[in-house]
Amino acid sequence: MFRPVRIPRLSSPLLSRAPRTSQRRGVAGTTPEQPTNALGTLPTSSSPITSKLHFFNSVTSGEKQIPTYRVLDGAGQPIEGAEVPEIDKALALKMYKHMVQLPILDETLYNLQRQGRISFYITSYGEEAAVIGSGAALAPDDEVLAQYREQGALLFRGFTVDDIMNQCFGTYLDSSGMGKQMPAHYGSKEFHWHTISSPLATQIPQAAGVGYAIKRDPNRRGKNCAVVYFGEGAASEGDFHAGLALASTIPTPTLFIARNNGFAISTPSSEQYYGDGIASRGPGYGVHTIRVDGNDVLAVYAATKEARRRCIEEGRAVLVETMTYRVGHHSTSDDSFAYRPRKEVEDRKRLDNPIMRFRLFLEARGWWSKDEEAALVKGFKEEVGAAYKRAERLPKPPVAEMFSEVYGGEMPWNLREQKEELGRLIRKYGRTWEPWRAELKKHKGEGKEFLD
Amino acid sequence: MASRIALSRLAPSVARASHARFVGTRLARGYASQGGHTMTVREALNAAMEEEMLRDENVFVLGEEVARYNGAYKVTKGLLDKFGEKRVVDTPITEMGFAGLAVGSAFAGLRPICEFMTFNFAMQAIDQIINSAAKTHYMSGGVLPCPIVFRGPNGAAAGVAAQHSQDYAAWYGSVPGLKVVSPWSAEDCKGLLKAAIRDPNPVVFLENELMYGVTFPMSQEAMSDNFLLPIGKAKVEREGSDVTIVAHSKMVTHSLEAADELAKEGIKAEVINLRSIRPLDIETINKSLKKTNRLVVVEGGFPAFGVGSEICAQVVETEGFDYLDAPVERVTGADVPTPYAVNLENLTFPDTNVVVKAAKRALYRSN
Repeated sequence: MFRPVRIPRLSSPLLSRAPRTSQRRGVAGTTPEQPTNALGTLPTSSSPITSKLHFFNSVTSGEKQIPTYRVLDGAGQPIEGAEVPEIDKALALKMYKHMVQLPILDETLYNLQRQGRISFYITSYGEEAAVIGSGAALAPDDEVLAQYREQGALLFRGFTVDDIMNQCFGTYLDSSGMGKQMPAHYGSKEFHWHTISSPLATQIPQAAGVGYAIKRDPNRRGKNCAVVYFGEGAASEGDFHAGLALASTIPTPTLFIARNNGFAISTPSSEQYYGDGIASRGPGYGVHTIRVDGNDVLAVYAATKEARRRCIEEGRAVLVETMTYRVGHHSTSDDSFAYRPRKEVEDRKRLDNPIMRFRLFLEARGWWSKDEEAALVKGFKEEVGAAYKRAERLPKPPVAEMFSEVYGGEMPWNLREQKEELGRLIRKYGRTWEPWRAELKKHKGEGKEFLD
Repeated sequence: MASRIALSRLAPSVARASHARFVGTRLARGYASQGGHTMTVREALNAAMEEEMLRDENVFVLGEEVARYNGAYKVTKGLLDKFGEKRVVDTPITEMGFAGLAVGSAFAGLRPICEFMTFNFAMQAIDQIINSAAKTHYMSGGVLPCPIVFRGPNGAAAGVAAQHSQDYAAWYGSVPGLKVVSPWSAEDCKGLLKAAIRDPNPVVFLENELMYGVTFPMSQEAMSDNFLLPIGKAKVEREGSDVTIVAHSKMVTHSLEAADELAKEGIKAEVINLRSIRPLDIETINKSLKKTNRLVVVEGGFPAFGVGSEICAQVVETEGFDYLDAPVERVTGADVPTPYAVNLENLTFPDTNVVVKAAKRALYRSN
């Protein structure tokens, strides 16, 4: 791509000095010497010199694809040579419960959207292991910059079903953003979860910035990292490349987790890239990289844990590519059966179900039973049902909230003026005109902040 | 790489230097005070950053060439030596990338000053500036603040054609959540940059390359470490009663020169230096209008949907309308991509003469 020409231009007095020009003249006047090493060396690289005319198109030796790290087979048993990560019963069950709960929550909210009760939703079907396995391997105060399909990891940190519902319904109790951000775009200071940004991949270079702030903070350096999630589609954005380049050239503890779920809305990964997935790009930026079976929760957990350790210890970027499959549609704005056969999805769900794989592992250890499963599902369905009914009945944020937080600090006059204008209208019509009176009832405080 | 190769292009441009330097020296003569403190715009910007970096450990500068090379225009000169690599950070060539890094670091508690080599290159980063920096504080319900200054040269330079010669005041000025500053003098630059760095919001700080070398007097007050100018307030640079000329950045120079010319004919022009684009200080403009009843708006940007258009709209929507005795005229850059050839380029942007003519038209003194 053509790069705009950068010229320290004429008005600046620096040109008259032009130090580089004079240097260049000096170089031109030097007599060349015979190099002592017959092959010579390159000026800015320690690349060995070769006489072979050899092209390459792989980051592994032997032109093979990058392997995928796996711990459990489809029956939940460790594969040959695999080391099961150290994981106690309590943590294993916590992870499993969240994996089971996630599709229940997704189904409820998906249906609420279909019924027109919320405007948008995005499910995690099929990616439960990738999201929760990685989330479980982080410290609870690592800063997470998610894409939008990682609510499982947020719930794992303690975000409640009520928090989810209040955000999706935009109630006055919405702790994510007081009803100012679209559904499924959660944020939480308490749980170190940066508010989701819709334009794809903006969070990736930002994570390098969060990593930079952590590196600068003596209380967090060596203890925490910034973690950024993104899909394989988002990794086509320039932001991805910029983010990796920055976190490696300005070294920061930034952990990059790619969810390669096979689809970017309708675009299959085979059309998203021609190379070897996302992992092949890591070494290009000098970044430690691993590819992991994203449907094997223990593999994701172990890989993320080790990635995090390296990331913090070396204070450098690490990349994890989790290979999974998006069983659900992209979002509620999408019907994926228009571009992929229903049978393919059904087969995937049946043959490579991450929840089932982990359940078989737990059952083999005697940590889980059918009865416990039934009770968990029933209890959570009731919890979700009660939570959405509560949220749906709650008032929306106060009217004045519309103007707050556009700016930090003092409100500029143009906003104050708009707010005063609205106040004037509410005082004029709010109590007397029925449509306005009815509308105000939906808001917390019913416009009291303007009426009094 | 491109930036290095670009240096080989210096030679053909030298022919244009006389024009650019002329502006600089003429201004230096025009505005330097006798005996008092003076500073170039470049020095004022540099001093503002240095003082704020001394004051607050969280302030840091990043961008292309800002550290070892002292900045493409030497605005960050000496900062690396004073504050070290942790606080003066050279980045790879990716505007979107380092603007994103700046945004993330601001979310996480730091106060970045993000230098763009020019705002023309910030187009690559505009998603980070608008969709992330400007909106996240609101969309997060105040959870994620974004105290950040995006700064660099803006507007037309000299002899560098359309892709290096654009004024972004109107682009950024239309975005809620951003504050936008377009300073003119060294005092403006020092007081407003310090205020921008301390502001809890993202501030787009539009400098002008042709002004960097211009010397201005600095008041005793402006030399102080605590000299701040309020963002959102314009300054009446010259009082007058016959016609109001509103301008920002380099166009203030032309407006003041125009006021000198007009004075020779007995016309007293009031010149308002906008200083801030957003929030726009319409109050100061209306106040002046009540006195002069005539308004000319001067800018280096395109005419359509511009700063001048916005001022016109706000004037006619407010009490200012009742005081107008003549149509408002916008004096702007031509509605074409900026051409390279010197004769065409000179025709593209307003100069003193055009401002004089427009002011006379407002007074029905010419056609």
